Amino acid sequence: MSSSEYALEVDRLAVSFDTYGGVVQAVRDVSFKLRKGRTLAIVGESGCGKSVTMQSIMGLIPMPPGRITQGSARLNGDELLGISQKALNAIRGNRVGMIFQDPMSSLNPTMTIGRQIAETLVVHRGLSTSAARKEVLELLRLVQIPEAEKRIDQYPFEFSGGMLQRVMIAMAIACKPEVLIADEPTTALDVTIQAQILNLLKDLQERYGLSIILITHDLGVVARMAHDVAVMYAGQVVEAGSVDDIFYRSAHPYTLGLRAAMPSNDPEKRTLRIIPGSPPDLFAPPPGCAFAARCPHAMRLCHEHAPPLYGTGHIARCWLHHPQAPESPVRGNIATLTEPAC
Amino acid sequence: MLSYILKRLGIGVFTIWFIATATFTAMHMVPGDPLSNERGTNEIIRANLERQYGLDKPVFQQYLLYMGNMLKGDFGIAFSEENRSVNDIIREHFPVSATLGLLSLLFATAGGVLWGALAALYRNRLPDAVLMFLVILGISVPSFVFAALSQLLILNLNQWAGRSILPVAGWGDFRSMLVPALVLGMSTMAFMTRLMRSSMLEVANTDYIRTARAKGLSPTRIFFRHQLRNAILPVITVLGPAIAIITTGGFVVESVFAIPGLGRYFVQAVAQLDYTVIMGTTVFFGAFLVLVVIAVDILYGFIDPRIRLGAV
Ligand SMILES: Nc1ncnc2c1ncn2[C@@H]1O[C@H](COP(=O)(O)OP(=O)(O)OP(=O)(O)O)[C@@H](O)[C@H]1O
Ligand SMILES: [Mg+2]
Repeated sequence: MSSSEYALEVDRLAVSFDTYGGVVQAVRDVSFKLRKGRTLAIVGESGCGKSVTMQSIMGLIPMPPGRITQGSARLNGDELLGISQKALNAIRGNRVGMIFQDPMSSLNPTMTIGRQIAETLVVHRGLSTSAARKEVLELLRLVQIPEAEKRIDQYPFEFSGGMLQRVMIAMAIACKPEVLIADEPTTALDVTIQAQILNLLKDLQERYGLSIILITHDLGVVARMAHDVAVMYAGQVVEAGSVDDIFYRSAHPYTLGLRAAMPSNDPEKRTLRIIPGSPPDLFAPPPGCAFAARCPHAMRLCHEHAPPLYGTGHIARCWLHHPQAPESPVRGNIATLTEPAC
Repeated sequence: MLSYILKRLGIGVFTIWFIATATFTAMHMVPGDPLSNERGTNEIIRANLERQYGLDKPVFQQYLLYMGNMLKGDFGIAFSEENRSVNDIIREHFPVSATLGLLSLLFATAGGVLWGALAALYRNRLPDAVLMFLVILGISVPSFVFAALSQLLILNLNQWAGRSILPVAGWGDFRSMLVPALVLGMSTMAFMTRLMRSSMLEVANTDYIRTARAKGLSPTRIFFRHQLRNAILPVITVLGPAIAIITTGGFVVESVFAIPGLGRYFVQAVAQLDYTVIMGTTVFFGAFLVLVVIAVDILYGFIDPRIRLGAV
């Protein structure tokens, strides 16, 4: 439809869950854009709404209790929210592939991996079983699974975690999707395997121009993979911009905190720092900035009024960018904008 | 897998030996013996039996003799019936019990899987509530109550129709098997329905079902290809105990419906203290159940590749 430079545009998305304890506002007014052929990392602490954001777009959250209360999400111009189950099924696994955190539990234990991958091809491309099998062998080789002819007829429990994540990737890219959503794809794997999986994703992106959304809470992974970054906190995007913006011109105190909490290779600053305090209760988010209670630079204004988004392209939801705000480490970092607006 | 089966068979043989010994001991501790029973006191039978089984010999010697004969596959001759071997009795009456049992197992499993899946699909809605209420009835009401009630129902039905739609008791064509099989399988079906329901709900929340949905599969395809097979696994593990329940439940149902099965024979034999029939049927039922449990294990392995291929 549109030939814009974005593969996925999410606009003012809000998701809540109706629970016995009240309404959980898990995602509150989230917007971001994924550039074609690039990787957008979504970063943030556990429970900040990263998974719910992506799963609600793909219709994967349980409804009820989940509810999308506002917003839109366009895949190359086509709206995803509010479309029929059937239309959504034609997109899932076909135009959008997904991989998840725990490859061990994400595959059906009683079906061979070959048949699980082939299923996608049979359903979306109408391939015959034998044609699909040929394609699956190709895919297994593509994701560098050795002895594909033997492996194709094996069950998930016969694979290691890293190999299973490769299987998941093969399944997700089988139909050459426009967008690949990877929800913490390496969190459950050990470090060397992590690096291999990330390299594989990078490789596939270069080869096929895949647009990737990478959910993670590891800034090391972000630095290695991402072109753009959205930092989430308590269901909101608090800062977004290019990877350089986020690392070298951080414009939100929470991003600064995350960076400081990153384990360092420098022996001088080996001590691991954490951000004191904990995220706010999503049953009743504070009227002001959600991060104010933990913010070393918080002013009275921050506790009382929610900050607007400052900047274009590189944006931050923080009062410290107000012209009359006092001096702070983030001040001026948005003004130094060099990237084109996005 | 093969060594596993062999090991299970070994344990099975030991179990059967234990059952035989325990039954033998229990019977000899009960006061009275089959020869003091009026029906058995015929001079020819008495002489015959005393010669063959040496009831006058010390108990331990009797035990060895009995075990020896059993190893040869000979359960001996019934005390209460002239010239009728226990083997003949089993051969004649077991097929009736097996037919009844198989039919009720089929009914219980198919019903359990179907109702359980249905209850899960309609979770917390009216069909689910109705089914779960029926499940509690099915589990808590004993089978002889169901048996009597169903006989009453058949009686009224026949009266109302003015002809015999279903026989009230007896054994013959399929019509006469239907109701006893339903009654016999009732509690097992109720139990399996509940198991299947919770298993379905558990599977519905797994990561791999989320993956299946993320692949864009239709709900029907997810249900049949991914959910059902995994949800049925726990139901298969209880097939062994279910068959045991149905087998022993058969004793009651056969008596109430006057079905000439081995179970009814067994109950009669106990009442008459017919040593050889009690021993023979007990050991036979024991061996049967042991084999069934092993067969269920193999079946389970067939459905769950993790077991078949020796992962766990
Ligand atoms: N089914 C649900 N019912 C109620 N609340 C839910 C449900 N699913 C998610 N939530 C809430 O939504 C919030 C966001 O959860 P989400 O899984 O998106 O976090 P996340 O950022 O992906 O964290 P993690 O890094 O641990 O994966 C959480 O606070 C959680 O309590
Ligand atoms: Mg998550």
